[in-house]
Parts: sequence; structure tokens; C-alpha cells
Amino acid sequence: MADTELKIFDYEKAEIGEDLGSYEYTLTQEMVDAFRSSVDDPEAPFPTLGVKHDATAFAMVYDDPIGTVNAGNEVEFFNPPIVGKKISVKGRIADKYLRRDKPYIVIEATAVDEDGRLLEKLSTYQLKKPDELGKKWHPEQK
Amino acid sequence: MASRTEIRPDQAIPSVTKSITENSILEFESTGILDRENIHNNPELAAKRLGTTYTLASGRMSITFAAECMRKFFGPDVFNHTGTVNLKFLRPVKAGDTITVTGSVNGTEETDAGTKVSVDLFCDNQDGNRTAVGIGTAVIA
Repeated sequence: MADTELKIFDYEKAEIGEDLGSYEYTLTQEMVDAFRSSVDDPEAPFPTLGVKHDATAFAMVYDDPIGTVNAGNEVEFFNPPIVGKKISVKGRIADKYLRRDKPYIVIEATAVDEDGRLLEKLSTYQLKKPDELGKKWHPEQK
Repeated sequence: MASRTEIRPDQAIPSVTKSITENSILEFESTGILDRENIHNNPELAAKRLGTTYTLASGRMSITFAAECMRKFFGPDVFNHTGTVNLKFLRPVKAGDTITVTGSVNGTEETDAGTKVSVDLFCDNQDGNRTAVGIGTAVIA
């Protein structure tokens, strides 16, 4: 895992296509059990969703003091991960845009296991102005 | 499991209903490999960033619920290797909520890999408010 100093995220400086690097971890039975329990599905095959591959890649590079809200996810499933196997993840910033004057980035990650099996591709649409959603959800609080 | 000949437009897929608790939210977060605080596990951070009085369930929990519906419809041998789920999140989900995911076949498309079936997906809370909407797909050989 990354052991370098985090950069402060600056939306203006973020670049489409920016590499978020790669990392590895080993999927454990404890991770699978916690994930399946949390979603009340004893057969849930992709605990990788709980690992949040793309957000983890981002968090290994950036400190984002403003924070983010997940506006949407796109997931492609290829092969369920196997307990005990090492999983390699590569992340990047796939897109960046303004919508209704709100800043968004799209982060994505691709995961393969130690045998080269493609597991999952995941994208997240992140709103980089979370207080805007808070106002929408709770107008009485602002 | 749905076979190619059985799939028809507007066909409903199996629904799931899930109770969201503080524990399930935290347990989902515990699956991660980074020990970090976020709007899902730290109420103060959620209050600071969102102005909420509660932590939010990760949207990826809804992705997982929708994937369960899809897997039950297409079968794991199909969905776990060809499936997709694409959700847009509309409202926060928090502890105490009950989320029901429903879906219906939207259409089919012939591809090189087989017949790609599209399913409209909906997540609604106990008050009947829509919390997420999207599309799932799977390819039947």
C-alpha cells in the first residue's frame, strides 16, 4: 500500500486521465464475512464493493478536506474474487465536469487477482461540493 | 433463473428488501482496507460536510442490493461474469431505513457475446421515496 504523503486535493488542478496509481491487498475471509453480513446476503460474491477500489485509490493519493458525496456508481462484474488471493487495483480520474455549476469528478478502478483474472471495473461519480446536497436534503438546517 | 426464451419485456425481476442499521453501515465500511473516517462512519464529519444529523449508508450498499436482485434473476453463472449495475443516487439512506429494490426488463440487444438484457432498477425507502434509480445488464449466451 502507498506510504507516501498525501496531496491536498484541488479540483481546479485535477486532470482527466490522471493516474491514481496502484495497490495490492489480500482478500480475507473476515472481509468476506463482514461484507456479506452487512448486506444480509450470505452469497454476495463481490466483497470488493465494500473495499471501494476507486475511492481507496483516490484516498491513497489525496487528502480531500472538503469531502465528497457519491452521486452514482457504475460496476462491471467479470469474476468473483477468491479468498486468500492477492488483488491488484489500478485507479485513475476518468472525467471531471461541472453540472448545474457543481463540480464532479469520475474516478475509476480496475481489479485483477494474482492469477490475472479480471474481477471488476468500478466507476464513481463524486460531487465535490457535498454541502450542496446537504442543503437539498435538509433545507431547514441551512 | 431466467433463460433466454423466458425473458420478456416488462418482466419483473426478484425484489429484495433490506433493513439498514448503524451496525450494517459500519460493518460495510469495515470491509475496506483503509482505516479512515468518512461520512459513513463518523457523525461529526457527516454533520460538518453535509449538515446531516446522521451518517449515511454507502451508495455501494444499494449497488450490492441491486446486484443481488440481478443475480437471482439471471443466476450467478451469468450475472457474476457478465453483469453490470449502474445507479444514480437520489436521496440519502440512513440507519432505520428499509430499502426495497425492484426491477423490470427494459429490453434486449444482440451482441457478439450473446443477448444483452437490460433491466430498469429502482431503490425505494419505507416512505415510498426513491433513493436510487438505474440500469442493470447481463449477457445470456
